[in-house]
Amino acid sequence: MSRHALTALALRSAAIGYVLCLILLPLTAIGFQSFEDGLTRFLDDIQQPQAKAALILTIEAALLTTMINAVFGTLSAWVLVRYDFPGRAFLNALVDLPFAIPTLVAGIMIAAVYGATSPIGAWLLKGGIEVLYNVPGIVLAMLFVTMPFTIRALQPVLMELERDQEEAAYTLGATPWQAFRRVTVPSVLPGLLTGVFLTFVRALGEFGSVVIVAGNIPLKTQVAAVYVYGEIESYNPQGATSVSVVVLIVSFLALMLLERLTRPPDERLPVLLTRVLNAQWLVLHSNSKLKIQN
Amino acid sequence: MRGLFISVVWVYFAALLIGPIAYLCVQAFGGGLTVFLNEVVRPEAVHGFWLTAEITLIVLLLNVIFGTVTAMVLARQRFWGQTFLSGLIDLPFSVSPVITGFMLILLVGPGTILGTWFGTMEMKILYALPAMILVTLFVTFPFVVRELTPILLAIGTESEEAARTLGANEWQIFLRVTLPAIRWGMIYGATLTIARAIGEFGAVLVVSGNILQLTQTATLHIYQSYVDFNYVGAYAVAAVLLAVSFLILMILELVKTRSSAVTEQSISIPMVQP
Amino acid sequence: MRIPPYVERFSAVARRFIIASVVSCIVASSALFHGVSVSLAGERELMLAIYSVPKEAYENKLIPAFKQHWKERTGQDLRVRSSYGASGAQARAIIGGFEADVALLSVEGDVDQIAKAGLITHDWRKGADRGNVSASVVAFGVRKGNPKGIKTWEDLTKPGVEVLYPNPKTSGGAMWDIIAIYGAGMRLADPKQGPAEAQAAALLKRVQKNVKVMDKSGRESVTTFERGIGDVIVTYENELLPRIKSGRPMDLVIPAETVLIENPGAIVDRSVDKHHVRDIADAFVAFLHSEEAQQAFAEYDFRTVTSAKAGFQPAKTFTQPAHLMTIAELGGWDKVASLLFGPQGLWTGAVEDLARGK
Repeated sequence: MSRHALTALALRSAAIGYVLCLILLPLTAIGFQSFEDGLTRFLDDIQQPQAKAALILTIEAALLTTMINAVFGTLSAWVLVRYDFPGRAFLNALVDLPFAIPTLVAGIMIAAVYGATSPIGAWLLKGGIEVLYNVPGIVLAMLFVTMPFTIRALQPVLMELERDQEEAAYTLGATPWQAFRRVTVPSVLPGLLTGVFLTFVRALGEFGSVVIVAGNIPLKTQVAAVYVYGEIESYNPQGATSVSVVVLIVSFLALMLLERLTRPPDERLPVLLTRVLNAQWLVLHSNSKLKIQN
Repeated sequence: MRGLFISVVWVYFAALLIGPIAYLCVQAFGGGLTVFLNEVVRPEAVHGFWLTAEITLIVLLLNVIFGTVTAMVLARQRFWGQTFLSGLIDLPFSVSPVITGFMLILLVGPGTILGTWFGTMEMKILYALPAMILVTLFVTFPFVVRELTPILLAIGTESEEAARTLGANEWQIFLRVTLPAIRWGMIYGATLTIARAIGEFGAVLVVSGNILQLTQTATLHIYQSYVDFNYVGAYAVAAVLLAVSFLILMILELVKTRSSAVTEQSISIPMVQP
Repeated sequence: MRIPPYVERFSAVARRFIIASVVSCIVASSALFHGVSVSLAGERELMLAIYSVPKEAYENKLIPAFKQHWKERTGQDLRVRSSYGASGAQARAIIGGFEADVALLSVEGDVDQIAKAGLITHDWRKGADRGNVSASVVAFGVRKGNPKGIKTWEDLTKPGVEVLYPNPKTSGGAMWDIIAIYGAGMRLADPKQGPAEAQAAALLKRVQKNVKVMDKSGRESVTTFERGIGDVIVTYENELLPRIKSGRPMDLVIPAETVLIENPGAIVDRSVDKHHVRDIADAFVAFLHSEEAQQAFAEYDFRTVTSAKAGFQPAKTFTQPAHLMTIAELGGWDKVASLLFGPQGLWTGAVEDLARGK
């Protein structure tokens, strides 16, 4: 074997080994636990009314979060990339903060700012919106922790999207909408999909902040993660792991789908995807290349 | 149009991010500067900071090394099960922290094979530092890999191939060709890892035992303060953590801008030709 | 000699790499030492797993006092490590390998679980005071001045009254709270209206209907209440008294029918034998039953368990509810817990019925 091939094999083994031990092994332990008493017990566990309700609520809230995040995240990324305005760098640095804030603190902050006893919360209450201890609160918490995903996924792509590509389309007679649809969107799509799918997956598993702002009433405002926690605490680990397995399977399927959608099956990368990936590399070397738009 | 968009984004950020964080800062200093400082230098808080720093450093090192390796494998190699592997990478995002901790207990708890083996070797995993490192490793794993894989895909293998034909060995190729190109991606991934590791709470709560002054990280200390009704203390320590993360992120931004002018000319790694 | 450019860049990278390796080696070696229990000559270590509520009592009074006593008695310096968390979480941690020498928890069910896992091998209920070290009662916390006039359990069911208590699945305190509702329901049952149990179940449902938030622990419930949510919180009396003392705008109301909460404390045999600290652990538990410790508990608004001892005067007197029930009267912990919280439990059923709009 050539030295190159040998190194490649060694690296591959190391990578696979690490991922297997760190990620797959623990997840398999969960799987074993939930199927310990057989498939019927597993199905029983997840069809408990509380479990089912929790799963449905979680998926619904995560979907809602994803949609809101997609819209506002795209808008934010666009604004941060295309326009220059006072405070741009500040906002840009803020984007990654939700990663750093302990979820507990995020929950407390949101509960304090949007609770019924705060000015904002009271104002919203007058408008008929009860944020806390309801679905809006859950969505808000999920939004907080997933905020960076769409924005960070789109920024590099948008940066690369050279203005002259769109201008070229204009000179060729395209309307702004056509340019958007035929040029911008396809280039941006992989980044957008990545951000969207990661948002969904992350929102599914969120616990620390949701448990503070949601009412956690079983069958009404209890998300899967909180249900799982409750089952572990009341000596029903199988019920807990069963529901977790469902969440994990949904996440895994979503991630596989994302992988398929954003990565070509063969060696030669198509043109637009190439540009996208070049862009992601480019952005790290070329902040000065940032197009300043008016 | 431009004005509208910018305003909307400001409102979005304010409602979601700036508002709550401002609240946190106001609460942290709610008792005045002396109270804030007192809370931050309490022995429990200091111990928490040290422990968090230790864990973050170790996790950072391991993640950068293995993350880079994994990214290189995913980007450069084609093998059976690649999609599966790639799907696994992002999975830690969706695992709730309670489950993360629980998984570790299932794996190395008493009565398990691994657990008994570690027991006979007198090594404490659970309710001690190793478990805390492991769960933090788990939750921060995606960051470096996700940053590096697209870059590696983009820069292609031409330079590396060229270096290989010129007689360089694998290590030299990595150090002199690949590494400089992925440097910024690595740094960004490392920054995110640091930020996430500092903020990890749920999983560490489950596997650390929450032993005062022994296994309480900064975030666990925040939780302890919160349930002790010491809100100012909780917010004060949280504000410090936040400031550290924000500082690192801002430094990264500044360094990037500063050095991009220099590196643009010196790096001539060809991009993948469409 | 001219240094080739790639060597310069290599040096920069290599330099950083070497610094990083050195630093991480230092850190890693310190990490390894963490796992090793550092026992200095003459210093022995006791590990305590305690539920979250009595933290101030233990940290500020009981543990320092015990260390003092031990030093006086044996001349040994004692290091006491303590961990505070939800009772159930602590129990599971111990079962999961947390090597606590003494478990001081909020509900006997959690200690039983540890015993069931084989870690407690003696009959802990045979100890002093039936194994309990402190007590309290289930009480209401209301807004200052009691604007909604909440005095009885029925008042909790009135429309427009928001009730707070934590989730019994995660909080031992919540289990006590709901057991109190059940007990009250049984006691207040009108024999003419059918079986007492059905009426108790109905009361459970009516109260649960007014619950909008269930935090995961008793402490968190109190913080939620302090944030302005809810009209009444159902929790331990000893949780409410210190908050009122520190000036929070709330009042304490003890309903006529309520349950006596008893908190157990037991040595974890397997840990004490492994760490060779049985003597210390035994002494600590004995100390907790002593008058001095019970006085300290009273200072922190716990009811004492040794009031039966002749001549013992607790530091403060507590209001005696008209109809105080014990868990034994209601049938014992196991029976009541499964009756209420099991898959077909009365409380579980109430929650499900409410969700279905029944």
